[in-house]
Amino acid sequence: MTEPTVSIRDLSIHYLVGAGRFHAVSNVSLDILPGHVVGVVGETGCGKSTLAQAIPRLLPEPPATIGSGEIIFRGIDLVKVPRWKMPMIRGTGISMIFQEPLNSLNPAFRIYDQVAEAVRIRTARERGGIQLARSEVGPFDYAQRPMPKASEVLTHPILPSGPVERAAQRRPNRAEQVRREVLEALRLVRINDPETILDLYPHELSGGMRQRIMIAMALSEKPSLLIADEPTSALDVTIQAQVLTLMKELIEEVHTSILFISHDLGVVAETADELGVMYAGRLVEYGPVAEIFESPRHPYTKALLRASPTRYKSEGPLSSLPGSVPNLSRPPPGCRFHPRCPIARPACSVEPGPKLALVEDAHPEHRSACFYAQEVPNLP
Amino acid sequence: MSAAPLVETRELEKQFPLTRTAAEYFAGKPRRAIHAVDGVSLSIQPGETLGLIGESGSGKTTFGWLVARLHDPTSGAVRFDGEDITSLKGVDLRQWRRNVQVVFQDPVGSLDPRLRVWQIVGEPLRAQGMNERSEVRRRVGELLPTVGLPVECLDQYPHEFSGGGRQRLSLARALSVDPKLVVLDEPTSALDVAVQAQILNRLVELQRERGVAYLLITHNVAAVRYVADRVAVMYMGRVVEVGSVRGVLERPVHPYSKALLAAVPIADARRRRTRFRIGGDIPSMVNLPAGCRFAARCPFVVDRCRSEYPELRAVPGLPGQRAACHRAEELLEVTPETLLKSDETPKEAPSAGAGSLTKPTGY
Repeated sequence: MTEPTVSIRDLSIHYLVGAGRFHAVSNVSLDILPGHVVGVVGETGCGKSTLAQAIPRLLPEPPATIGSGEIIFRGIDLVKVPRWKMPMIRGTGISMIFQEPLNSLNPAFRIYDQVAEAVRIRTARERGGIQLARSEVGPFDYAQRPMPKASEVLTHPILPSGPVERAAQRRPNRAEQVRREVLEALRLVRINDPETILDLYPHELSGGMRQRIMIAMALSEKPSLLIADEPTSALDVTIQAQVLTLMKELIEEVHTSILFISHDLGVVAETADELGVMYAGRLVEYGPVAEIFESPRHPYTKALLRASPTRYKSEGPLSSLPGSVPNLSRPPPGCRFHPRCPIARPACSVEPGPKLALVEDAHPEHRSACFYAQEVPNLP
Repeated sequence: MSAAPLVETRELEKQFPLTRTAAEYFAGKPRRAIHAVDGVSLSIQPGETLGLIGESGSGKTTFGWLVARLHDPTSGAVRFDGEDITSLKGVDLRQWRRNVQVVFQDPVGSLDPRLRVWQIVGEPLRAQGMNERSEVRRRVGELLPTVGLPVECLDQYPHEFSGGGRQRLSLARALSVDPKLVVLDEPTSALDVAVQAQILNRLVELQRERGVAYLLITHNVAAVRYVADRVAVMYMGRVVEVGSVRGVLERPVHPYSKALLAAVPIADARRRRTRFRIGGDIPSMVNLPAGCRFAARCPFVVDRCRSEYPELRAVPGLPGQRAACHRAEELLEVTPETLLKSDETPKEAPSAGAGSLTKPTGY
């Protein structure tokens, strides 16, 4: 059993809205293993983006509040880390790609400066300039700082002799090295002629290029967890296909864990190893992606899969899900899907609702939060 | 294609001029322009849906606006019921507008947040001369159930609706004056799958009930498959292929159509696609290439493509389908799947020269 890169345990997040609470994420547990791509799908408002942003603690707190649960990353519970320490973890272990590439690049800086920032943070971290996240998190204790050894002090003069040498000592061709790494990062994301691109501003690039720059920035920090929040939703299909192809190649090359958030089942089917389906703040189904597409074990997943239009109008109407997503300020009791569910029974509306559990006759890693998961394959 | 078409465009062109710098002005350089729509001839029959697909920047929205006369064409003609509408003015134009209505892409931006539902949906009615408030409310009250909204929401504001609800409002507004054609500009791209299915079903039912024609502009191939009768594929201001929905989506002829269809992700983990091969973005729309506009990205390009523009022509063996490709006959056997690299040995397409396929064109 390998240690998961990130392990989310029973996470609940709510937003304070007026006098009430909006329960965006409720009791979600998720493990992402090293090198695995975990997809999370769901409709708008199901809490998938809240989940994505909660991991690097990017949610505005308040109004967002992490009610309970833990996010274990490299042995630290990120929920308990004080806010001022988060930048150290964000830059060094977790990277994020956002949906709208134009809004997430700074329009006032050239591409070079933006990618170089990521590279500099990483090199600073590798040199020890930025403290790596340690398992015991507390204020820095000067008393515990190790005393320098005599041999170190003797071989490294404390002050270099002249100003030029001093500068050379401090930064051995660092600018050149950063530039080289930036170019390498851009080549990694298949950008032709990176030398020219470096001096451009984000508005001079197309959407696909911008998204590739975002990926380059995220990867040049060499993260162990990459969170991609709808990375291709703002792009055209052909450009989306290019970016997805690139991401798949990078998954093989870079071998990092990825949390891939999308509302597009097709996109997730192409990239993810494991798939989680979210509905109204809960994870309702989780398992290997092929299993879920082949035999979904939650009525919601089944309805979602059947709603994608794959037929002509002469072949009859599309199946659609009756009703609408519940208001999460007052979520329905028990299973949150029961008001729209075709196989709902009285037991479904009783608290606590069904928990994510293994399904008996399904794949050994296939979990579903439905009391009647065995009946789902027989649904029309 | 026997009956008289509802809408017919001939060599429709729309250019958006660019500003010149002072230096260019004094040097006497000609004013350059973006050729958004560049010679499009299409027709829509009464009660039929024409799907228009293509990447952003291909000119499909501009074409929709030209048909609805929200833009004035640079040249060419739009005939509506046999009448040229490009020269309509004043009262005539206003009265004509009841024939064509538009559903815009952005369901938030296209509804005035300060108006109530009955005012929004009834606005076209007022523009067409229905001044009695009670009359407008009554008419809107009749319309709302047809798009699946309750009558009680007459006095609500748009922010009280979800994305799907807002798109239903837009649709009700477009249908309020009983138009003959509705231009649907990306009607579902801002919506989730489940809601999208509801709206698409509603669109098809409304068409059956009212006999309204649709011009469905979208990059969503799945939506086009379900709603459209015929499909036109646009690339850089030109139509590269047009035909029946089954024909174009199942046996695309033009390499660009094939590439576009190959790029659509399929929600099926067993048929996992591997590598997509058409690189690059849409080239500049200012300095248009002389030959085929897809030549720079096309894996099957030959010298002739770069010098001579292929006209839209019938494809032998595929009735009703026309494509603008010099090599249409040779490429019939190439399926969208061949444009995807397989993980094992790269397969060569039957009619393509060695090397031309594996070389990514301008990433």
